[in-house]
Amino acid sequence: MVIGSQRPTRGRALQMTESGGTRWQLNERPERLFDSISRRNLLMGAGGVLLASGLAACGGSSPTPSAGGSTASAGTPKRGGNFRLGVTGGGSKDMMDGQNIVTKPDQARLMTAFETLLVFDDNYQLQTDGLAESVEADNPTQYTIKIRKGIDFQNGKPFTADDVIYSLQRIGTQGNGLTGYAATATMDIKHLKKVDKYTVQLPMLSPDSTVPQTLASYTFGMVPVGYEAYKGDPSTQVGTGCYILKSFTPGQESVHERNPNYWRGDGSPWFDTVTITDFNDSTAQLNALKGGQIDAMTDVPAGQVNAVQGSGIGILNSQTGGWIPLCMAIDMPPFDDPKVRQAFRLIIDRKAVLEQVGNGYGQIANDLYSPFDEGYDKSLPQREQDIEQAKSLLKAAGKEGLSVDLHTTNGAAGMVELASVFASQAKAAGVNVTVKNDPNYYGDSYLKLPFSVDFWGTRGYLNQVQQGSLPNSPYNETHWPPKSGTGSNFESLYKQALAETDSNKRIDIQHQMQQYEYDLGGYIIPYFNALIDGYGSGVTGLSPSKGTLNLASFGHGYRTIWFS
Amino acid sequence: MKWLRGGGIVGFIIRRILLGLLVMFLVSIIVFASTQALGDPARAILGRDATPDRLAALQKELNLDQNVVGQYFQWLSGLLHGNLGTSLASQQPVSNALGPRLVSSIVLVILAAVISIPLSIAIGSYAALHREKGFDTVVSNVMLALASLPEFVVALLLVILFSTSVFHWLPAISPVPPGHRAWEYPDELILPVLTLAFAVTPYVSRIMRASMIEVLESDYVEMARLKGLSERTVLYRHALPNAIGPVFQVAAISLAYLAGGIVVIEYVFNYPGIGSELVDAVVNHDIPVVQALAILIAGLYVLLNLLADVATILVTPRLRTRL
Repeated sequence: MVIGSQRPTRGRALQMTESGGTRWQLNERPERLFDSISRRNLLMGAGGVLLASGLAACGGSSPTPSAGGSTASAGTPKRGGNFRLGVTGGGSKDMMDGQNIVTKPDQARLMTAFETLLVFDDNYQLQTDGLAESVEADNPTQYTIKIRKGIDFQNGKPFTADDVIYSLQRIGTQGNGLTGYAATATMDIKHLKKVDKYTVQLPMLSPDSTVPQTLASYTFGMVPVGYEAYKGDPSTQVGTGCYILKSFTPGQESVHERNPNYWRGDGSPWFDTVTITDFNDSTAQLNALKGGQIDAMTDVPAGQVNAVQGSGIGILNSQTGGWIPLCMAIDMPPFDDPKVRQAFRLIIDRKAVLEQVGNGYGQIANDLYSPFDEGYDKSLPQREQDIEQAKSLLKAAGKEGLSVDLHTTNGAAGMVELASVFASQAKAAGVNVTVKNDPNYYGDSYLKLPFSVDFWGTRGYLNQVQQGSLPNSPYNETHWPPKSGTGSNFESLYKQALAETDSNKRIDIQHQMQQYEYDLGGYIIPYFNALIDGYGSGVTGLSPSKGTLNLASFGHGYRTIWFS
Repeated sequence: MKWLRGGGIVGFIIRRILLGLLVMFLVSIIVFASTQALGDPARAILGRDATPDRLAALQKELNLDQNVVGQYFQWLSGLLHGNLGTSLASQQPVSNALGPRLVSSIVLVILAAVISIPLSIAIGSYAALHREKGFDTVVSNVMLALASLPEFVVALLLVILFSTSVFHWLPAISPVPPGHRAWEYPDELILPVLTLAFAVTPYVSRIMRASMIEVLESDYVEMARLKGLSERTVLYRHALPNAIGPVFQVAAISLAYLAGGIVVIEYVFNYPGIGSELVDAVVNHDIPVVQALAILIAGLYVLLNLLADVATILVTPRLRTRL
């Protein structure tokens, strides 16, 4: 099987336009977004639509993105300028590592210098215009990675198979504690084999059709042999990407200079320098953008969007597949009774949550995740609020007048607000929900609670299942799947899906899995959130993206944006 | 208690410095004890990865395996040698990260002091001299209004007025780039300094006004007037020096508070001072940084109060001659 790019059909592009036009959810406290992420080691960004087997690789440019906020249509790119980006969510724990992030500014910095073998385009489709020409499954337990010839690292050293092996082994070594480690579970990292200077064989411990998605996630950046994280010397931060690190002070600022020998040879990148500044507060960030001290910012507060647009600031509104679930542990009372879970899923008013928590910026969800996966089951009926039905279910379960604690924290934007809104909605059904906002939530109690709030980024369905819905998943809040009865074969279905190379058959299996989760699962997923970023009038080349990272993957690694 | 007196101003300063050191020692005990309550730093660092062997290794590395008293003296001796430890969050020496931020904070406080103290003295004196006239009424009410506005509101109003919406004269933010000093960017300092001046001036000028009124009604000022001294001499030689003492005290406390307390100002202007660093460190359970900052801010309080006391004594004839 050759994993490659396929231009999304026109239909898909249109669909994207519609979703881009819908208002997204807004991060009310974007600066808190990553406060707790370090202990979560989220693999943000893996996933996406599984590719059908047998597709021809056809590298090439990403499809032209559409939708609101785009500045992509403007003419020929121009060289020059210092692109100043303001990012919230950082602090003294900021780091620079081509394969690891703790804070949001870390994401912004990683993308300046490091690139992946495969890439996601703005429609969250895999493309082969990254560092690899192709990633092929020779058989279910072996992939062959062919990298592009003639790519040099920023220090002039050629990018070869040895670097690929070093990069993957660095991620796959548990002791390194890198973001992507969990996603390497199926890979036989120790036995990566160099076939020739530009070809690597990746053996698998068990079949895994999501390897291409994993290789395209941004924490799988390619680093040179011997690479280490930033420890004070900018010259150690060598990638293949557009900008070379000149200086970096965690919690404050980093300066990146244009890589004059960037491999694409199309004149990119366009800015002379990129300066990334940490902000503690989105008000200061917004003022700086209005006052012209920065050229772009992450996470414009939703309440400010209209006011800001009036003042000549561009808004980039990107519908992502990110979600903030209410998590019911299916093996802990009172949620060990499926009727109670069912009742809670009927209590929530998803539209009201989207309005109140997301300020209307987002898309209503249906208790299932991974909306951009081709196996996402759109045929399941949309759940609506039904208080009467919820009451009778609770009565049937003998749980009238139920009282539960809902645990949350100021983690990702909206986590606390969602808990409060749900608590008030639950009163209508006679359920008394007490919100417990615990600053140490991601310490001892996380994953051990009957009822809690969590957050996730955009990911393909099977990647997401691996992260959160299997007995050995690192972040399984709902303790899914059931140990016996209906749905207890969930894990074996997952394994079948991973090994299945026929995409239609795999989609059928995924639909079966989603049916179980829809009927019996522990997640209440009210909506998928949007990223809302702002940019100054001179910035050109930005267009909405379905990916996990802000500003359309930071202008695709600061490559496709320029000053008009 | 004879040793508590004598030696003139020099003796006084020496005694106050010794007293300040005693205060700092007590503060260090309190800081150390209270940061223990933040929990086991090794556990905080490792989080979900806190396996027993990794925990034990890290605890040894951080000297957490010793008893608390031993840890305290280890920390204190590091402090006295200028070694503030290593930040748990950034893995850099604390002094590297804090040094530039401390300088930035002090620059802000000094500039705010230089502007607001003379201004407050002038406003307060003038208002006292022309009590309940037009100027006094207007200024009193304006000051009251300013004092009742939170600092960040003042800051945002200034930004809206001068940077983003009305005029575009000044930068909206003041992010001193690493490796540079705040004074290299004078235009970026204007709004933060102005905000701090607005925060301090109302209090200090009101104190100045009250203190001046009291002095002007005192017997010795009446005596001076009866002696036939010019109003100017009465004011500058007799009234002002006696009235100004309390102003130094209030200004010192306000400024010390500003150095560590106005986190919102640092947030609004994205100014790299010690206030936001302290908040960051507490969130990160970064105990060495929290300890270092608590000691620094306490030291700043002690120093500013010392300066205020010395200044008060130098300008107040009554106190000066008593030493």
